[in-house]
Amino acid sequence: MAKKRTTKTARRRSTKPAATRRRAPKPAGHKTKKGPRSASERVATLLILLPWLQKRKRVKLSVVAKQFRMREEDLIADIQMAAMCGVPPYTADELIDVFVDDGIVIAEIPKFFSRPLRLTSAEMYAIIAMVKAAQSMPGAPSRSVLTRAVGKLARIAPDVSEAPVQIDLPDEPLLQELHTALNESRELRITYFNPARSESAQRTVRVGKIYSEFGHWYVLADDDKSGAMRNFRVDRIREIQHTGKIYDQADVARRANDQGNEWFGSDLETVALRVRDDATWISEAYPIVSRKKNRDGTVDVVLRVTGEHWLARLLLRGGRNIEVLAPAKWKGLTKATAAKVRAKYD
Amino acid sequence: MPKKIDAAERMLNLLALLSMRTHSMTFNQIRAELEGQYSDDYQAARAQFERDKKALRELNIPLDTSVLGGEQAGEMAYRIVRKEYELTDANFTDEEIEALQIAVATVRLGAQESETALWKLGAERVDPSIGPQASIGFSDPHLGTILAAISERAPLMFEYKGEERTVDSYGMLARKGFWYLVGFDHLRKAQRVFRVDRIEGSVKKGKKNSYEMPKSVDVVKAVPNDRQMMAQGDYEHPTAHVHVDAELVQGVVRDFGRGAIVREDADGSAVFEVPCSNSYAFRLWLFAMQDKAVVIEPPDVRAMVVSWLDELTAGQ
Repeated sequence: MAKKRTTKTARRRSTKPAATRRRAPKPAGHKTKKGPRSASERVATLLILLPWLQKRKRVKLSVVAKQFRMREEDLIADIQMAAMCGVPPYTADELIDVFVDDGIVIAEIPKFFSRPLRLTSAEMYAIIAMVKAAQSMPGAPSRSVLTRAVGKLARIAPDVSEAPVQIDLPDEPLLQELHTALNESRELRITYFNPARSESAQRTVRVGKIYSEFGHWYVLADDDKSGAMRNFRVDRIREIQHTGKIYDQADVARRANDQGNEWFGSDLETVALRVRDDATWISEAYPIVSRKKNRDGTVDVVLRVTGEHWLARLLLRGGRNIEVLAPAKWKGLTKATAAKVRAKYD
Repeated sequence: MPKKIDAAERMLNLLALLSMRTHSMTFNQIRAELEGQYSDDYQAARAQFERDKKALRELNIPLDTSVLGGEQAGEMAYRIVRKEYELTDANFTDEEIEALQIAVATVRLGAQESETALWKLGAERVDPSIGPQASIGFSDPHLGTILAAISERAPLMFEYKGEERTVDSYGMLARKGFWYLVGFDHLRKAQRVFRVDRIEGSVKKGKKNSYEMPKSVDVVKAVPNDRQMMAQGDYEHPTAHVHVDAELVQGVVRDFGRGAIVREDADGSAVFEVPCSNSYAFRLWLFAMQDKAVVIEPPDVRAMVVSWLDELTAGQ
């Protein structure tokens, strides 16, 4: 059949640096995993893909692959397969009209599978919870439009519209002001509290990104003091002033995106800890380099240390449930920190 | 000429056939129409058909069955009504679709569900280059099953802290990078909160409509936050007065509000009244401030803190 022309394209490689997180970064998407895809996985994707394509009629292959997080060769294989499907007698006009031509996916004549599938309850819960959470954030789309959209979603699936699924974001009064500064590319002078030194200092920053992770809001900003992109915890910003300067937003945003949400450089010192019983929260609450469970139930973790003060705090909180394995210089840190606090009670 | 058909192709053809025909079809009729696609061997073909039916149902495509009368009495016939699996046209305007896209891009759930929902609504996933983003931080393999169970009122079975649990799920909360499941735990015979990433092994879903949903479920209130945790315990003293150095006062006000201040000193430091019935949670909160926070009273709590510290200074 003449209509099945395909184009070979090189596989895309992700160039994004791996972030230091307490959890392994999630894979780009569930469709990109290696290994053969099951028949129902392929059908499920096609049933979402085909109506989406038929609505648009012509889309670049690379765009579709990126959008659906698929490898281009898998996408081509699925499209070729779909083009063979339809109803008996499987003559040209009884087949699904979809093909790839010169790097473009074409699906112009809707005959089969032109209407999307219903939303599953999980999808409804997820999207409604996200919309509700987004409504409380600066930069959110107009409340009335979102409310209308949610109303229509509720009509599609009335039984799940009162979603008992919620996203609890930390409340942050400075968020609006930071968002405005980001939007208008206004350079800021902030008074930032550094808990390690127990002091506040002034810094001039150009905000590249505002994000929330693990219960706190952060800004990733170009910081004139260090000359690099730095993360600042928003609840430690004591004061915000405008310098009156406008900065190159595109440049800062690009650098922010290049860096991702990576918190710490890889040049930081590490500490090896043995964690017992109740203190396993440590390996969940801090960015870890490695984690190994021992036979006796203890866990050995390696953490990056942003400063001795930070480590002292962690050790004091963990108490006897944490033991420093290495380096030797920190083996007495728990005792020293406890003694310092104990002195306050004399 | 017989050609090799793969399972995905056959499934798609079966779906097309059953949803395009206006009448129900028996297995034999289907096999005849999809000539060469099912095995020549009857038993093998039957097994393939059963697998296809199951897979389609798992994709939420309802396969209606009926038992025929007359000459074909007793034979089973199958039909797929498109209306039952296709999305009702909700007529979203471009503006509404765009609003949903931005909302989904702003709050990153780390789950596939919202993305699939957008595609089904005909929208695209967008990557915002500007504006705040909240990452819910992790994708959990159990999320889809749990959400489906909530909507179906189907109990969940899983292992948690070494025990087999059966839970009537009421709702979920995402907070501080974790997912919590709120539900009625049959083992404890009470409402309990489970952290989803601590579920061990697999999650199984029981029978649909097995329980009633309580009239109002406030998942935000059901899952205690760090501060509330400090008030949830059986330590004899419910609160303690803690002196906090000036540079940390703002942070404590953020956590407990100005109402918790019992005294403000000239140097900017302050004394707060904070809950301590859960002594473990209290200790974690207090020691995070190291020597910048000191318990003033009651004497018992002060003595308890001193004993914790003495334990640490004595050992090693």
